Amino acid sequence: MSRFWKWTLGSVLGLLVAAFAGLSFMAGSPRDVYGLVRYALPHMHRGKLHAGDDAPDVRLLALDGSNRFHLRERTGSRPLVVIFGSYT
Amino acid sequence: MVKIYNDYKDHADFLTVYVREAHPTDEWQMKSNVKEDVCYAQPKTLAQRVAIANDFVQRQKYPLPFGIDDMNDAADLAYSAWPERLYIIDEHGRIAYAGGMGPFKYDPEEVRAWLAKRFGPVTQTSSTSAAVPAAGTR
Repeated sequence: MSRFWKWTLGSVLGLLVAAFAGLSFMAGSPRDVYGLVRYALPHMHRGKLHAGDDAPDVRLLALDGSNRFHLRERTGSRPLVVIFGSYT
Repeated sequence: MVKIYNDYKDHADFLTVYVREAHPTDEWQMKSNVKEDVCYAQPKTLAQRVAIANDFVQRQKYPLPFGIDDMNDAADLAYSAWPERLYIIDEHGRIAYAGGMGPFKYDPEEVRAWLAKRFGPVTQTSSTSAAVPAAGTR
């Protein structure tokens, strides 16, 4: 291997280690970096909805576990604030 | 969000939509969830989602109307909702406010500002506001 490629490979590896260390510091730990990359990034999307767009209608399940309703049913007479989230 | 709900529920409707878990035990669990005993595996069935949603509502005494996303994540995908996100839909069925991607750009105060601009500032000193640590419901 030529000296050029050794330096290039070494630099790339060094940058990767530095990036991982930086992410670990920002995320809290190496485990959090893995969680972020493995579980969060695939599900996080910036989205394409903007003010003025038609709100997509979706069918949802009520807390009783049997009744279903459409989000659109809750709109019409007043503004509807929609909060998406989970417990954890 | 509970306080904003209490302040503006006479002017606007509210709907909380439960989407896939953000930090379940079998994925990227947070130490804070262990400390607060909020430990759930990622639901594999709709019944499991319903059970967790009901746990949340009961434990937090959460007063807002509630819906649960289907296992195909239709609501999550349509609104790019995971892990948490806020929207306001106007009376014509159009997006009036589209919040940023959570958790870093999840900002209930932007919702309050929109409501205050529309209906005027309202701040009630409510004692019914639950301390809600959950994703998407602060």
